[in-house]
Amino acid sequence: MKKWLVMTMIAAMFVVAACGANNNGGNTGTNANTGATEAPSNNAGTAGDGEEITPEEGATLLVWESKEERPFIEAIGKEFTEKYGIEIKFEELGAADQVNKLISDGPAGLGADVVVFPHDNLGKAVSAGLVLPNDFYEEQSRSENSEVAVNAVTYDNMLYGYPRSVETYALFYNKALIPNAPQTFDEIVEFAKTFNDPAANKYALMWEVGNFYFNYPFISTGGYVYGDNGQNKDDIGLNTEGAVAGVEYYGSLKDSILPMNSGDITYDIKKGLFTGGTLAMDINGPWTIADYKAAGIDFGVAPLPSINGQPASSFSGVKAFYVNSFSKYPNAARLFARYASTKEAQLKDFEMTGAIPANKEATADQAVQENEIVKGFVEQFNQSTPMPSIPEMGNVWSPIAAAFSDVWNSGKNAKEALDNAVQQIKDANNGAAAAK
Amino acid sequence: MNRHRGIAAILSVLVMGLGQLYNRQIVKGLLYMAVYAAAWIYLIPQLGTAIWGVVTLGEKTQGFQKVGKVMVRVEGDHSIYLLISGLITLFVFAVFLILYILNIRDAYWTGKRRDQGEQPAGFKQSWAHLTDKKFPYLMLSLPAVGVLFFTIMPIIFMIMLAFTNYASPNHIPPKSLVDWVGFETFTNLLTLKTWSGTFFGVLTWTVIWAIIATVTTYFGGMLVALLVESKSIRFKKMWRTIFILPYAIPQLISLLVMRNLFNGQFGPINQYLSYFGLGKLPWLTDPLWAKVTVILVNMWVGIPVSMVLIMGILTAIPKDLYEAADVDGASGLQKFRIITLPFVLFSTAPILIMQFAGNINNFNVIFLLTNGDPVNGNYQYAGSTDLLVTWLYKLTLNNSQFNMSAAIGIIIFIIIATLSIWSYRRSKSYKEEDMIQ
Repeated sequence: MKKWLVMTMIAAMFVVAACGANNNGGNTGTNANTGATEAPSNNAGTAGDGEEITPEEGATLLVWESKEERPFIEAIGKEFTEKYGIEIKFEELGAADQVNKLISDGPAGLGADVVVFPHDNLGKAVSAGLVLPNDFYEEQSRSENSEVAVNAVTYDNMLYGYPRSVETYALFYNKALIPNAPQTFDEIVEFAKTFNDPAANKYALMWEVGNFYFNYPFISTGGYVYGDNGQNKDDIGLNTEGAVAGVEYYGSLKDSILPMNSGDITYDIKKGLFTGGTLAMDINGPWTIADYKAAGIDFGVAPLPSINGQPASSFSGVKAFYVNSFSKYPNAARLFARYASTKEAQLKDFEMTGAIPANKEATADQAVQENEIVKGFVEQFNQSTPMPSIPEMGNVWSPIAAAFSDVWNSGKNAKEALDNAVQQIKDANNGAAAAK
Repeated sequence: MNRHRGIAAILSVLVMGLGQLYNRQIVKGLLYMAVYAAAWIYLIPQLGTAIWGVVTLGEKTQGFQKVGKVMVRVEGDHSIYLLISGLITLFVFAVFLILYILNIRDAYWTGKRRDQGEQPAGFKQSWAHLTDKKFPYLMLSLPAVGVLFFTIMPIIFMIMLAFTNYASPNHIPPKSLVDWVGFETFTNLLTLKTWSGTFFGVLTWTVIWAIIATVTTYFGGMLVALLVESKSIRFKKMWRTIFILPYAIPQLISLLVMRNLFNGQFGPINQYLSYFGLGKLPWLTDPLWAKVTVILVNMWVGIPVSMVLIMGILTAIPKDLYEAADVDGASGLQKFRIITLPFVLFSTAPILIMQFAGNINNFNVIFLLTNGDPVNGNYQYAGSTDLLVTWLYKLTLNNSQFNMSAAIGIIIFIIIATLSIWSYRRSKSYKEEDMIQ
């Protein structure tokens, strides 16, 4: 009888153990989560007082960055590895896509430790709890970078980002085709009359006319996206009188400057024409500088021409590093985010990719100041509008882009198109509430 | 004398395996008991959490806490993970319940056999019985469990998502929780103007597209197949190779190339048209033309498949049918109409339905060629050529509207399932299964 009992016990334990493994697998979600909280909090507690944060033992970091920034991240990553012995892995991911990917990959533990995105995505990221605040290096980040940049990466009075660069777009002009940059859009219309020759692919000016980012100047003549400096989701200023006038003017440019449909103008085509020397002017961002230089084009950069007698304000963005709040090595990630956003790093980035520094001292640096091209961007930056950073900004892009395309391609009434877009944005912002 | 079956069954109800032990089937009984113990130790305690998770979708949101100089994430409930892990636990529990019932049944039947004066089977005998007579069941049970966890569970998960408010910007866990909202997502989709306008517009185009795309590729493929296979044609192999080429190139490449070819201003196609003095066509930028373009390009991609398929069937048609028709003096058209067409249609009807269902979900052609563009001011997050499936993709990956995409996913599933079942049951190959032996 005794033997029988022992046998039972052994057999039972065996199977229990086997099933146990099974069950754990089913519940990794909860187990792993609770485990993960403990470890970093202990580490972080001890690391609080030093000048530099203590990275976790055996940390390796994954960084998401866009294609254009690859050389910079690889260089700075190498330096960082040499200094701290922390390995940096790089994965190419466009800045605009990072938050969306982080929403699904972050909590699952698959996201990069350090990410980069333009500040208009910040609200969305914060409202999903995806990024850790910039706490340890807060004072340095605040004092060293320009106020616009710091404010842009701050959300609800909390600093989240480690500012890396500021960007906006301006007017690139090919000096061989047009020696002096025009001051007004009307001047461009005049110039186009003599210059445009579709058969030879000669065009006075091109920009991505279907993309709201580049079309904002036409709204800026009296309109805005969200009120209260982009914080009030219920105050949409895309269909004000001034905005309608701007968009009407925009619609008129199809016949006078750029006689083609919005879908036919892509970044690559534009680049090909500009480097091929048949496109006189291009509205583009600093990320193209390297390519245009490499093509050997003699070009200048000037602020955007005025629209209807009003200065054109562009959208500006601040790109910053952020630490994924689900990172296994948050301290090492903080350290890297800081390391890659210091004055020296920003200057290096400027040198390698042409990114305009957000750091005040770096902007004042001779290399930056003497650079004619950067001057043009800085000038434009001073009359730019930061993109709103509230989460509802994500609902703006596609409806308003559709409105612009409708006006451009089919000559739809500007007011009608804008009203329609505003209605759609409202519906999207209020979501289910609108149904009730 | 039928006390054994009762006692064994009751014992098995009380504790799994006890009935087997009573029936003196020690090993089997112990195995059952082990499962029972495992369930009590691991499964049953989690059941409460699982049900709580699925019902409430979490109660505590994630926060941040200042520790020294740095902020640390304080774990909250992740509604979506709670839902998934809850589902897994419930599924494991369901599997356990099945085993439990099997155990009672087994105890009862063995007890009955003992009542009839037979010896209960020993473990070796049971094992032999299982691996010999019940072998298919044994083998099927593994994939069945796999299907349960890797097919049925994700589908149920998706269906459940449609009844939550899991969408950006206000309900993305772990910072904020997701709640059950019942049919609200569906109501919004069907009644809220911005959503319903897009939905019915996209749905209409999806159906039109699926019909035209299927018909054009099918009859295009049939035409090419008939031409290549016709008696008078020479170099059959060369023709076949030429016509299969488009299919051999990965769509990822060919469609992206096409996108440039069709550029209205700078694409070679329009450059040629204007070279011959013809006007440039807005291939991809005008809503109607864009639809025409995707259908044309889809023919280019899809005709080779139908061609190969129909060529195979053509060779299977008995030659004597045509000889007899020749004797009767039938014309080529008559032969096609009375012999070839019914034969081909009959053999391919199920495949035709599959192609139709496939075209409803034809992601590649639309996504790579137009990306749903040209944009449409009346649509929410969709363009003029977007199909339901590409719209769903945009909603999920670009706009994080997970609940809405889940709802659309369910609707696509219902449409495809109904159409397929309905038309398959109506097709001749279903009704007259014995036409081809």
